[in-house]
Amino acid sequence: MNASHDYQRVYVWQQPVRWFHWINALAIITLGVTGWVITHPPALMNSGEAWTSFWFGKVRFVHFTSGYVLLANFLVRIYWSFAGNKYASWRNFLPLTKAQLREVWQVLKVDIMQSSDKAVHALGHNAVAYFTYAATGLLTVFQVVTGFALMAPTSQSWLPRLFTWVTPLFGSEGAVRTYHYAGMWLFVIFTFIHVYLVFYHDYVEGHGVMSSIIGGWKFMEKHKIAAQEATGISGLPTKSRQTGSRPKV
Amino acid sequence: MSLELETLPKEQTIYDQVIARGVSRREFLGFCAWIGACIGVQGAGVDQVVKALETKKRIPVIWLHFQECTCCSESFLRSSHPIVADILLDKISLDYTETLMAASGHQAEQALQDTMAKYKGEYLLCIEGSVPLAEDGVYCCIGGKTAKGIAEEVAEHAKAIIAWGNCACSGCVQAAKPNPTQAMPIKKVIAGKPIINVQGCPPIAEVMAGVLVHLLAFDAIPELDNLGRPKAFYSRRVHDTCYRRPNFDAGLFVESFDDENARKGYCLYKVGCKGPTTYNSCGTIRWNGGVSFPIQSGHPCIGCSEENFWDKGPFYERLPNFPGFGVEATADTLGQVALGAAAVGVAAHAVMTNFRKRNEIGEQTGENAEKAETADAAATDDHSI
Amino acid sequence: MSTRIVVDPVTRIEGHLRIEAEIKDGKIVDAWSAGTMVRGLEIILKGRDPRDAWAFCERVCGVCTTVHALASVRAVEDGIQVQVPPNAELIRNIMFCAQYMQDHVVHFYHLHALDWVDVVSALKANPAATSTLAQSISHWPKSSPGYFSDIQKRLTKFVESGQLGIFANGYWGHPAYKLPPEANLMAVAHYLEALEWQKEIVKVHTIFGGKNPHPNYLVGGMPCSININEANAINAERLAMVGDLLKQGQQFIEQVYIPDVLAVAPFYLDWAGIGGGLDNYLCYGDLPTNGFSDISSYKFQRGAILGRDLSTVHPVDPRDDTGIQEFIDHSWYEYEGAAAGLHPWKGETKLKYSGPKPPYANLDTDAKYSWLKTPRWKGHAMEVGPLARMLVGYAGGNAEIKDAVTATLGALNAPPSVLFSTLGRTAARAIESQLAARWSLDFYNQLLANIKAGDTRTFTREKWEPSSWPKQAKGVGTSEAPRGALAHWIVINEQKIENYQLVVPSTWNASPRDAKGQRSAYEAALIGTPVHDPQQPLEIIRTIHSFDPCLACAVH
Ligand code: HEM
Ligand code: HEM
Ligand code: NFV
Ligand code: SF4
Ligand code: SF4
Ligand code: F3S
Ligand SMILES: [Mg+2]
Repeated sequence: MNASHDYQRVYVWQQPVRWFHWINALAIITLGVTGWVITHPPALMNSGEAWTSFWFGKVRFVHFTSGYVLLANFLVRIYWSFAGNKYASWRNFLPLTKAQLREVWQVLKVDIMQSSDKAVHALGHNAVAYFTYAATGLLTVFQVVTGFALMAPTSQSWLPRLFTWVTPLFGSEGAVRTYHYAGMWLFVIFTFIHVYLVFYHDYVEGHGVMSSIIGGWKFMEKHKIAAQEATGISGLPTKSRQTGSRPKV
Repeated sequence: MSLELETLPKEQTIYDQVIARGVSRREFLGFCAWIGACIGVQGAGVDQVVKALETKKRIPVIWLHFQECTCCSESFLRSSHPIVADILLDKISLDYTETLMAASGHQAEQALQDTMAKYKGEYLLCIEGSVPLAEDGVYCCIGGKTAKGIAEEVAEHAKAIIAWGNCACSGCVQAAKPNPTQAMPIKKVIAGKPIINVQGCPPIAEVMAGVLVHLLAFDAIPELDNLGRPKAFYSRRVHDTCYRRPNFDAGLFVESFDDENARKGYCLYKVGCKGPTTYNSCGTIRWNGGVSFPIQSGHPCIGCSEENFWDKGPFYERLPNFPGFGVEATADTLGQVALGAAAVGVAAHAVMTNFRKRNEIGEQTGENAEKAETADAAATDDHSI
Repeated sequence: MSTRIVVDPVTRIEGHLRIEAEIKDGKIVDAWSAGTMVRGLEIILKGRDPRDAWAFCERVCGVCTTVHALASVRAVEDGIQVQVPPNAELIRNIMFCAQYMQDHVVHFYHLHALDWVDVVSALKANPAATSTLAQSISHWPKSSPGYFSDIQKRLTKFVESGQLGIFANGYWGHPAYKLPPEANLMAVAHYLEALEWQKEIVKVHTIFGGKNPHPNYLVGGMPCSININEANAINAERLAMVGDLLKQGQQFIEQVYIPDVLAVAPFYLDWAGIGGGLDNYLCYGDLPTNGFSDISSYKFQRGAILGRDLSTVHPVDPRDDTGIQEFIDHSWYEYEGAAAGLHPWKGETKLKYSGPKPPYANLDTDAKYSWLKTPRWKGHAMEVGPLARMLVGYAGGNAEIKDAVTATLGALNAPPSVLFSTLGRTAARAIESQLAARWSLDFYNQLLANIKAGDTRTFTREKWEPSSWPKQAKGVGTSEAPRGALAHWIVINEQKIENYQLVVPSTWNASPRDAKGQRSAYEAALIGTPVHDPQQPLEIIRTIHSFDPCLACAVH
């Protein structure tokens, strides 16, 4: 297996995507942890006076701040899905073309049913991955909307107040909190599976998936790249395929 | 035998009556300022209160009782500041209320009809209790008529409607699942009339009084929130006016009733306090003349001024049960089950993947099964440059 | 020929009560009592956390608020076998007594008085004579001629305003009103004073339970922690306030309520022979002084009296399958084998209306005609309430009760037999208010003594977690609500409520007749009541009010 010369470096994840990813991951982990603490505050102190500390207030502060970060970062990513390369494009996230749908089926066959015939070797994400990330995006929107709705009644600032319409939709703040809390669980589950899958794909396919989200590059056999170009699967028809040399962004 | 309304002399203003009762003008003005403060006006606004009370006769009030526990009436009777209680008795003319009126049966029904006829379009309709709609309303009948029929009849020419308490505002306990009588709040029964929802189970006495005074003094509906509650009393969460709030921010919590922390008055968040999602004046006005309120007496807020608070329990847990599942299915249980399922799935998947990978590698490296072992171990390296 | 009259709504009660009565020769020959509103609480409670039940049950009634919460936490504690700490018991007892004081005073002045007091006649009273009258019966300071004159002026202004409010269309001038104008004026003054007073005594509930109506309770104790060195707990200031409130409460009862009852009663002694009704009386007892499970420690005794026979007090066991049962022969419910009575642990609640389509003029009283079920004890119709409590205590040789009853009878110069009447019920209520006021201070002093001795516990955590409960449990929580014997039966299965049944004082008293045609207390008490003018139901509501009806309670 010394076929390394067959491989080609492909610059998949541009800087904004990578920054987005890690800021996003950090924000979500922070929000998840602080959110968990908000629901289940640990019995840190058995005695004390209220003026001596403000730790629960701080936890909530961190949560809210991370909430703003999550939103801002998300908006940047939306922008980049129009401005970035084809792997970053918004089109990937909606499995609308026939080719994408076919690929969804393929991936499910391989990943879930473990059939080994036509493994999908995607340069960007495979179609299923894109689709789950789209769902994650929706989940982010949901958390942002419910989170800011929970902030709205006591906030003086304009942003949370954009979300005053949300609570009536759920019936009560209690309900919004429950759903917001449930959203946390969905993120926990996503992260768990997501990280597993990253390892899994790295292990099974060996295209450098894992390092790509840091460095930006993936590695793939040339014939596979060619096959992908031909079928148009995983990645829409190329305008400018970036290979070999480091691109501008 | 009964007194004839018509034979009686001219109607007096509230001011006349108060002064005639020996209340000084200074006390009267003091009261106006207090009421003004309650309903959020100052300066010139207070003058307006004074003027209104000086020149207005008592509003005729019809108070209907449907599916209720009558504790809204009871609460109303507890209105605290003595002068206020007196003025309230003299400020409105409570022409019909089954709880207190002298007349029963036909005479009571007559009193209702008289007020409706004499003060068409002028009387204030207060409703305590919910209206059952199932089975054509047979679950609540008065004088042989259904609550629904009576509500519609009396509402038609009412000037405005006050829905007292959680029953009239959102159905309260009888509307809790499975709501056997289809108990409905007033807003679901009557359309086309201004309805003021004075929430709580029951509402605080001074809030009830304050709403009446607002209507009388300004001849206008107070500003309402999106659930129809007067903002003057329902725009802040109990949590934001709670004197235990510093403990919340400091992370000092009661872990269990009557523990060390409970005895120090720490925050009741962890024993289920619904203060963070409940809009009411308990933290500011407090109860029974400002003596205390649930949290001050050690019990978490159960959210009694919120819609359907009965089904958002259990009361001793902070987050409501997840709707649509069994009572015990909190988000936590569901989340843990889902995460558990994911973990099991992932584990199984990982094992299967391993087998598949071995097979693939076995195919690539030839029939020699022994070699597969080494290849497998080196698999990751194989793909690196 | 008899005429049938209908009184609906019966006012100055809690809830929706309808009375139909057959009148012949100026007397009632038959009567039917119907509850016309239902909410289905017993259905709603199913499947919930037993620790939440008290809050649901408390909303059964805002007039006797607290008593259902108390019965409910007791039922659960009985089921999961937990004893509350002594202080919790004392606090509950203090709240119980405060409830008696408030509820009974409000009943007498605001719900019952206008049956005996002609407000319009008070306009003709001489304030000086009123003052003399008031001072002759009590030391109560508000009794000067000037005071009564002011009240009279105020009343006159009110009437002259042309807006009569709650007094419109009353039965003023009816020949059944017997009080002289001065007594009427005094009563009007006390009507207003009692209105002020009642909002004070409930502050006892506010301190321990956070609010009134509907103070908070807790399974396993009480939520209010005691800490005499802390601003955020029950401390010296809070306790002092409770003490003051109780003392002021006692003062009002002894200096206003009791003298008023004793002053009014002699004018209505004919009503000591009217409205007796049933001969059977039932009490569960209450005010434990050594834990709820020690029935012998109760201040109010448990027991039953049959056939007015005061020589025997029969034992009562709420767990006995064949003791307390509910029937639905004349009630709008259904279940399999509906002819059988069900013990509440096996009770069923399934609404099934079969009455006339509203609007209706009359109910079909031969068939089903009420939302109340019909409870029976060993097949007997029983009266519950203050009269039952005083009789059971009297017959059972309870010294305090016996003394109080004897003193009142002495003051009225009447034999014990007058108790079996409309007037007797009203007097019994006053007598026990006096006892409750006195006892509340005993409990209060005991609470102080406990705290002084270092015991500040108000709650036990031992059985708080449902995981510590048996898989299946059954409990019964009994109490003596102001209106009588109250009990909740709970069946717990896998930490959830499987069945919950309430049999409430007004259910006993106001229920429809049973399959054997035996009338319950209201219907029985109305038989023989004179009615001067069938168009004016004053006498009917007099007897009915003597029970202090609560229909929200009765049906739930
Ligand atoms: C809270 C934790 C994480 C979240 C929410 C998260 C989320 C995401 C999302 C949304 C994408 C799609 C990016 C895009 O298309 O814009 C993505 C891709 C990726 N993430 Fe994460 N990630 C998390 C943690 C991690 C971690 C810990 C790793 C590394 C071990 C990782 C590795 C990757 C990789 C390699 C990709 C590209 C996947 C592919 O090419 O198929 N992520 N992640
Ligand atoms: C990954 C995204 C997020 C997660 C996992 C998350 C999780 C949580 C959790 C578990 C809670 C506690 C709920 C409770 O017990 O009542 C919470 C509360 C809250 N979250 Fe988030 N959240 C997220 C995003 C956001 C965002 C974007 C905002 C908006 C700024 C936000 C604002 C809030 C607010 C205001 C509360 C209520 C805190 C309080 O009043 O004490 N959250 N969140
Ligand atoms: N009947 C009744 Fe109650 C009482 N007392 C309760 O148990 O009033 Ni509402
Ligand atoms: S809202 Fe609550 S307090 Fe008011 S009548 Fe209804 S149950 Fe009673
Ligand atoms: S006790 Fe309740 S309302 Fe008060 S601060 Fe704590 S959570 Fe908020
Ligand atoms: S339970 Fe109700 S009384 Fe106030 S503190 Fe909560 S809103
Ligand atoms: Mg029942």
